[in-house]
Amino acid sequence: MNGEAKAGGQEVKMMKLDDLLQRNVYDVDEEPHIVVDYSKCDKCPTKPCVYLCPAGCYTLVGGRILFSYEGCVECGTCRVICPMDAITWNFPKSGRGIYFRFT
Amino acid sequence: MPGGSTPQKFDVIVVGAGPAGSAAAYLLAKKGFKVLVIERGRGAGSKELYGGRVYAAPLREVWPELDKEAPIHRWVRKERISVVNGETVATIEYTASKPVSFTAYLPELAGWMAKKAEEAGALLVDEVRVDEIIVENGKIVGVRSGDDRVYADVVIDAEGANRLLLEKLGMVERASPENLAVGVKEVIKIGGKNIEERFGLEPGEGLAWVLVGVTSGAPGGGFIYTFKDTVSLGVVVHLRGAIKAIESGAFTDHVYKLVEGLRIHPYFRKLWADGDIVEYGAHLTIEGGLSFMPKKLVAPGFVIIGDAAGLLLNTGYTIRGVDFAVYSGKLAAEAVEEAFNKGGPTEENLKVYEEKLRDSFVYKELVKHRGIEKVMKDPDFFTKYPAMLTLTLGKLFEGEYEEPTILEALLSSAREAGVPLLSSLLKLLWVVRRL
Ligand SMILES: Cc1cc2nc3c(=O)[nH]c(=O)nc-3n(C[C@H](O)[C@H](O)[C@H](O)COP(=O)(O)OP(=O)(O)OC[C@H]3O[C@@H](n4cnc5c(N)ncnc54)[C@H](O)[C@@H]3O)c2cc1C
Ligand code: SF4
Ligand code: SF4
Repeated sequence: MNGEAKAGGQEVKMMKLDDLLQRNVYDVDEEPHIVVDYSKCDKCPTKPCVYLCPAGCYTLVGGRILFSYEGCVECGTCRVICPMDAITWNFPKSGRGIYFRFT
Repeated sequence: MPGGSTPQKFDVIVVGAGPAGSAAAYLLAKKGFKVLVIERGRGAGSKELYGGRVYAAPLREVWPELDKEAPIHRWVRKERISVVNGETVATIEYTASKPVSFTAYLPELAGWMAKKAEEAGALLVDEVRVDEIIVENGKIVGVRSGDDRVYADVVIDAEGANRLLLEKLGMVERASPENLAVGVKEVIKIGGKNIEERFGLEPGEGLAWVLVGVTSGAPGGGFIYTFKDTVSLGVVVHLRGAIKAIESGAFTDHVYKLVEGLRIHPYFRKLWADGDIVEYGAHLTIEGGLSFMPKKLVAPGFVIIGDAAGLLLNTGYTIRGVDFAVYSGKLAAEAVEEAFNKGGPTEENLKVYEEKLRDSFVYKELVKHRGIEKVMKDPDFFTKYPAMLTLTLGKLFEGEYEEPTILEALLSSAREAGVPLLSSLLKLLWVVRRL
């Protein structure tokens, strides 16, 4: 079966995370609600945020962490799992951020 | 923040318009208290994400009109539990004689509950994030958002599982991956008729489905729920377990791929074929309610309810958070009223909330099921045992010429799944005695 194969019209391929996040409604704040101290990330052995942030906000670029807050679904996972206390975490202000409808 | 003609002092401020907060606000407003509800989202419910099914009876105690008025999607008639191991799937299905729970979108349901509170006279202010709970002379007196302060005789904390405010207040420790899990889900629109045909349901009937073996070696599970014309599917992963699995190299992919893996799984994908993915999201949930519970649920002028109080039961086959949250809101409302009647919301007078809770089904259920916590955090229950079950069934059903006896199938499957039989039997016995 190749990647384009369909099963009952449904693609058998996994979607890209960005394409999934496209389905959401956001009102992204101009200011980030989460700030990451990258100097701590350099010393972080397993970097669990890269695997466990459901919105893929933490990516590895050339071995270093890059954080972008735009797709954040405000779950709080990164705050809980970061072993280095590198994250200053808050909810977005003034109703900004994710807007869930069918969840 | 309310300004101008609105008084800046309330009887009660409720932080968070989730199920817990709105239940408390509704009941207190109905009794004539001046209640302010503060919600960070745009409208109540817009930051809400859960699995999909709510037990109705505890909600009816607060809103007897629930069945007629609430945005209920389907009444759950069918329960399924599946153990998944690669492409093999073993399923138990149960059809209930009478449904006691329903599916609903939590954004809609929480919106309805908040509207009820407003109709009863509570003031709902949305798009405001509470930044701090104000303490003066050892008493909680109000809340702060930015430079705005609002005061009340009682503050009810219904902020949910991500307890920024309680942590800042020093009433709970920093959030730990030990007691928390992340739930990640997709919502797929396939239309009501397809749902009924593909899941074998009558119109208006729903299905709740729990899956084991879909979390790549991390403790956790999957779920599928049917709504009016959508299906939601997702996974819940215990955070400490996931960190361990990452460290040991068992968990090498992004967590979203667990959900996508379920969506394109050859057994499940037919169920939502041709559907449109309409939403994707995630939320924290509690794993082991009693160990997440703050040491004290009241302080002078202060009461903690719902998820923030650790009042969630996840047995693995059912998850009860919304009804527990609503019920704790009801008990808090009663306790606050009694405290006012006794002379004021001192800690002593508010303690009646803790007593009511201890006597309620909510707390009793949490105590009764506390053994489950050990299961929910043990990776063997999510990898080795499911594998052993499906391998055993495979040997029993897939023998083209010869079939093993059940004992032979069990023993060889245990070996293949890496399950040491004696210690596992002891573990299972220990667990069964506590379930
Ligand atoms: C993946 C998953 C699946 C689940 N499945 C089920 C299920 O099928 N059935 C079930 O019964 N339960 C389920 N639950 C649990 C259920 O969602 C919760 O127990 C329930 O929502 C708790 O209600 P609550 O009112 O205490 O908190 P929440 O529903 O979390 O509400 C808290 C509210 O407070 C607001 N808030 C938070 N902080 C602030 C602040 N600082 N300022 C202003 N507002 C604030 C939030 O925006 C939110 O509206 C699930 C949970 C998850 C994550
Ligand atoms: S877990 Fe924390 S310290 Fe480690 S990489 Fe992620 S943000 Fe940085
Ligand atoms: S809060 Fe959740 S979605 Fe947002 S960055 Fe952290 S882990 Fe990712």
